Amino acid sequence: MASVYIPVQNSEEEVRVALDQLPRDATDILDILKAEQAPLHLWLIIAREYFKQGKTEQFQQILEEGSSPEIDEYYADVKYERIAILNALGAYYTYLGKIDTYLGKIDPNQNKNFTSAIQYYNRASRIDPLEPSTWIGKGQLCVAKGEYQQAFNAFKIVLDDDPNNVPALLGQACVHFNKGENEDQYKKAQEYKNSLEFYKRALRAYPNGPPAVRLGIGFCRYRLGQYDRARQAFQRVLQLDPENVEALVALAVMDLQTNEAAGIRRGMEKMQKAFEIYPYCPMALNHLANHFFFTGQHFLVEQLTETALAVSNNPIMKAHSYYNLARSYHSKRDFEKAGRYYMASVNEISKPQDFVLPYYGLGQVQLKLRDFRSALSSFEKVLEVHPENCESLKAVGHIYSQLGQMDKAIETFRKAARIDPKDSQAFLELGELLISSDASAALDALKTAYNLIKKGGEDVPIELLNNIGVLYFEKGDFEVAEQTFKEALGEGIWLSILNGKIDTSKVDSTLYSVQYRDLSLFQQLEEDGITLELPWDKVTSLFNYARLLEQLHDSEKASLFYRLILFKYPDYIDAYLRLAAMAKAQNNIQLSIELIGDALKVDDKCPNALSMLGSLELNDDDWLKAKESFRAAKDATDGKDSYATLALGNWNYFAALRPDKKGQKLEATHLEKAKELYTKVLTEHHGNMYAANGAGIVLAEKGQFDVSKDIFTQVQEAAAGSIFVQMPDVWVNLAHIYFAQGHFALAVKMYQNCLRKFYYNTDTQILLYLSRTHYEAEQWQDCKKTLLRAIHLAPSNYTLRFDAGVAMQKFSASTLQKTKRTADEVRSTVTELKNAVRVFSQLSSASAYHSHGFDEKKIETHVEYCKHLLDAAKVHCEAAEREEQQNRQRLELARQVSLAEEARRKAEEQRKFQLERRKQEDELKQVMQQEEHFERIKEQWKTSSTNFGSKRKDRLRNEDEEGGGERKRRRGGGSRRRKKDKTRARYEEEEEADYMEDEREEPDEEDANNMVNDQDEEAEKAQDHLAAAGLEDSDVEDDMGEPSSAINRKRRAWSESDEEDEPSQRPLESSPAGYKENSGESDEEMRGKSGGNADVEEDDE
Amino acid sequence: MKLAGLRSVENAHDESIWAAAWVPATDSRPALLLTGSLDETVRLWRPDELAAVAPPSRGHALGVVAAAAHPSGALAAAASLDSSVRVFDVDSNASVTSLDAPPSEVWGLQFDPKGTVLAVAGGGSASVKLWDTSTWQLIATLAVPRPDRARPDRTGSGKFVLSVAWSPDGRRLACGSMDGTVAVFDVARAKFLHHLEGHHMPVRSLVFSPIDARVLFTACDDTHVHMYDAEGKSLVGAMSGHASWVLSVDASPDGAAIATGSSDRTVRLWDLSTRTAVQTMTNHTDQVWAVAFRPPGGTGVRAGRLASVSDDKSISLYDYS
Repeated sequence: MASVYIPVQNSEEEVRVALDQLPRDATDILDILKAEQAPLHLWLIIAREYFKQGKTEQFQQILEEGSSPEIDEYYADVKYERIAILNALGAYYTYLGKIDTYLGKIDPNQNKNFTSAIQYYNRASRIDPLEPSTWIGKGQLCVAKGEYQQAFNAFKIVLDDDPNNVPALLGQACVHFNKGENEDQYKKAQEYKNSLEFYKRALRAYPNGPPAVRLGIGFCRYRLGQYDRARQAFQRVLQLDPENVEALVALAVMDLQTNEAAGIRRGMEKMQKAFEIYPYCPMALNHLANHFFFTGQHFLVEQLTETALAVSNNPIMKAHSYYNLARSYHSKRDFEKAGRYYMASVNEISKPQDFVLPYYGLGQVQLKLRDFRSALSSFEKVLEVHPENCESLKAVGHIYSQLGQMDKAIETFRKAARIDPKDSQAFLELGELLISSDASAALDALKTAYNLIKKGGEDVPIELLNNIGVLYFEKGDFEVAEQTFKEALGEGIWLSILNGKIDTSKVDSTLYSVQYRDLSLFQQLEEDGITLELPWDKVTSLFNYARLLEQLHDSEKASLFYRLILFKYPDYIDAYLRLAAMAKAQNNIQLSIELIGDALKVDDKCPNALSMLGSLELNDDDWLKAKESFRAAKDATDGKDSYATLALGNWNYFAALRPDKKGQKLEATHLEKAKELYTKVLTEHHGNMYAANGAGIVLAEKGQFDVSKDIFTQVQEAAAGSIFVQMPDVWVNLAHIYFAQGHFALAVKMYQNCLRKFYYNTDTQILLYLSRTHYEAEQWQDCKKTLLRAIHLAPSNYTLRFDAGVAMQKFSASTLQKTKRTADEVRSTVTELKNAVRVFSQLSSASAYHSHGFDEKKIETHVEYCKHLLDAAKVHCEAAEREEQQNRQRLELARQVSLAEEARRKAEEQRKFQLERRKQEDELKQVMQQEEHFERIKEQWKTSSTNFGSKRKDRLRNEDEEGGGERKRRRGGGSRRRKKDKTRARYEEEEEADYMEDEREEPDEEDANNMVNDQDEEAEKAQDHLAAAGLEDSDVEDDMGEPSSAINRKRRAWSESDEEDEPSQRPLESSPAGYKENSGESDEEMRGKSGGNADVEEDDE
Repeated sequence: MKLAGLRSVENAHDESIWAAAWVPATDSRPALLLTGSLDETVRLWRPDELAAVAPPSRGHALGVVAAAAHPSGALAAAASLDSSVRVFDVDSNASVTSLDAPPSEVWGLQFDPKGTVLAVAGGGSASVKLWDTSTWQLIATLAVPRPDRARPDRTGSGKFVLSVAWSPDGRRLACGSMDGTVAVFDVARAKFLHHLEGHHMPVRSLVFSPIDARVLFTACDDTHVHMYDAEGKSLVGAMSGHASWVLSVDASPDGAAIATGSSDRTVRLWDLSTRTAVQTMTNHTDQVWAVAFRPPGGTGVRAGRLASVSDDKSISLYDYS
């Protein structure tokens, strides 16, 4: 064991101090040293020994004592040892300062240890300013403080003096290397080369120097990319010092970087060896941790990295350690801890270029924790370094989509897909994003993803197939959609259902009504040992397939699918709702409500279920309940669900039109409220067609036809695009507008198209609108045919029969009213009237067991009137037939007369010259007089007929203004109602009937008047009917209230004017006959004519 | 089994054709197709060329909604919207009688297999009227009772009887109504037996299987065709596939298939062994109001024939094999 011998003062003896047995208390030694005035180098030796043993306090104590002023004084001429002591202290404090700095505790400039170190070095310099070891110490201090330029200067001073000073050379190499580490890319190489140069010089100067020199050379070469020579250097180090950890680690890293299994194994062996030699090398620890991360030994990872963190000072090294730790937690799904460590790792890094991985990890964790903004900035850091990193791009795209910035998201995914056209994930996400905005592009992207995955030989995810299926479905490409869904579902019980192998087994027909709630079929199957597996991820596809089957009208199989879903997942609300919708479509309202009840049991706030319940209740005429349900639905979604809002809007609209609560004020309030709700939906969703339609209706209600027409047209165009949006209402509404504006032909076209396009011509309500339009356009036969079709479709709707009766009656009346009619026409009129009578009398008798809502008296009146008309028509018929015959006779007569005239003229011509001129003159006079008389009568006619014309115009206008407006309102109401409220249609039809009824008044009176004029002998009877009509008139007035009675008054005014013009037309017709008086007509006819003329005179007076 | 289009006649009537029935062959002529239309006429057509046999026969006010032929082939009856049934001699077109029982409307009608009784669906009278075919007297009124579990009925469409069908043995009679219920009667005792439930919309047509008197097919507006065991009250199967109302159903004489006509403008052929639609004919352009298989019999006529008539005024004839 080494010992130090302290010479005893003034003697030849020495005190032996065994270096491994230094006393614990340094004071003992100091006392000896001081007492014996031992040479200073002994002080140093002892202090250094203490340091080596880790007893820094004693080391410090001795050196501080050794540099005290007394010593300075006493050993004033022993320069070198004094400097050495000071430098040792300086180096020691530098070391302390370095530790502080690495631990990040103190700013280097305020580090007390550095200050102390400087003080000692300065003292040393004062003793000898040229001592190279002082400068070297100062240089090292500067390196420690990161002041490389000053360090460079310090080392340079030494090297200028002695170019082969090894420590200075090493220092300079170190300075350059560090500068290289910190410099920008392009200067790095130069600095490493400089560093390498200095290491080489050091090695030349001192070939047997410590392995550290070769290590430096190795690092420089490594940095310069000369890996083989770096490897040689490290291997040389290991030859010299087989336990050199740095060299081992360096070699291990290089092995690992070969990225080959063998290389990695070699590398890990070296790492392990290094770890065994020295368990505190952070690099080795990190790499080992990394390795164990991949082998899944997380416990080791944590231990290793924690050690690494404890021993490491290098920020990047620490960043790696934190990263390893974070990654370990990340893989254990402890996202919070992982996030913290990623963050710690990121905090160690000044530039993302140095070490980008923790940013990626951090981004992932932040994404997981739904901190999208932070995640976005993390991934953007990654993209700064690797702008084409697909994973990060996809992450960024995903975040954008989560943040609702769809355009950016799509753009990002497009970029990712462009960079790597083989990345199925990017196409998948791109496709999913595009689904809502651009279905065909979405389909393309998803198909690409599908093909890529298929090519890769992987299993195609069910979601992808599901989405592709849905897109085909929406495109209307049902066959491909079905194929896709089948592929998504694979093998399973559903195939047996599709093949029809499992069918609804025989059930008692009384139980059939609840079939959609019946799951016993599946229970039975399970009991029979058939496994009914339905993995959760296939449920959506199965549901969509069922939707497709519904679209293909295979509702039986669809219902089985839905029920299978419910059997396995009784909480799947959508399946309940679809079953309910199917039940509703089959008019099984009770079952539908029960199914919705099931859905509400699962979630009593489900807005869809509530909305549907509301519409069912409305169907059931349960207004208050319906409103409550809609309200609940609206509340459940914080008013964000447009459907509920719309439904409430519709509710208000219907409420406004309820006939039993016709309060003007209430109606206006409801309308206003409806408009408000529609507008609200429109502001939230600009493209909501239903809201637009609603707004259009409200506007139409208010008479703003042009605006509403524009709206309807736009909605109609918009709705044409999708197979899922079916908006027949808007067609009907448009037709209503045309109707209200008097464009009957257009309205007819529109109604017909709507019927054909949406209802397979089965909707009687629209047929009723159609017949109504024909009625308005006075196309009686079309009107009648349309009504007959409607009756055929809805046999139990007696209102339609009534309307058909009215149409026939109206047709007959108008034919009879015509001034010219053929016998055929009259004959068909008679048949029509007979039918009308039959229809009305059947209605009247049917009321015995049906309350179809007609006043029996009213029907009775119709029957009577038609019968009367029939009687009248018979006469007309005879008259017409007679007239026809007479016409023939007349023609014959005329021919004979003209022949006779001819003969007479010839005879007269012969006599002409012989007859007296006076006689001729007399005759002439007579003719002139007659002509004058005729002229006067003609004048009379003219005035009366112009009178008639203006009145007629009046009437039309009035009807447009009042009647037209009011009618419109009913129509508009009807169109919406059809959608939600079929039963209410009855009220509507009654109104319709009522309306037709009051229209009927006019022919009634007219014809009655006709009768008076034409048939003297019938006068009495006609008077009766006139009275009957009048009686009914007053009835109607009671029903209709104020505004309509005004219309009636107008009407009556018109019929009065008719009375005036009716007879005035008669003479027109009869006048030619009047001129042919001479040619001889039947007396009867003459009498009729004269009677008519007499009437004219009376009326005029 | 399949259908093959043989011939179509466009504008066979002036208006929508609503009714079709085969008049069985007699010794002097083959089976004829009888059609009725909104144009207030019935017309007779000779297969397979679908040539008009006689000028249109008038006297059906407001349009013909149903037609039926007597099993002997001598007589036929047509119901029209004015609620009367005109019975006429097929070959001479002479009216035999006109039946009406006001205030009852008339809808579907059917002669019993022996030809002694004519059953007429009575519409709003909630009954089926039975007429004796020798005296043309009303012999019975089979009233449809309300089912036990009565549904609320505010629309007045409650027991509006639309359609009738005789079982092949003539012992049972079934009728379909507006609200979807199907009532089964024991004819001999003139007694109501039970309801067959499952439909909630109008049942416009129904037919018994010609080979199994228990099996009844119903066509309903709910787009489904149901197959019932009429005796056991049970639903054997439901067939879906039509996109709109099923207006008419008829069973093939061999009992292996049924054909349906729908307002979705198609005629479908269903294989009863699998209860799936095996064929869909899309030649019509509007509602198909009636489909009818030609009854077997007649001299040298073996081939199966199916006729369909439509709102598009056309008649189509198919070969069924």
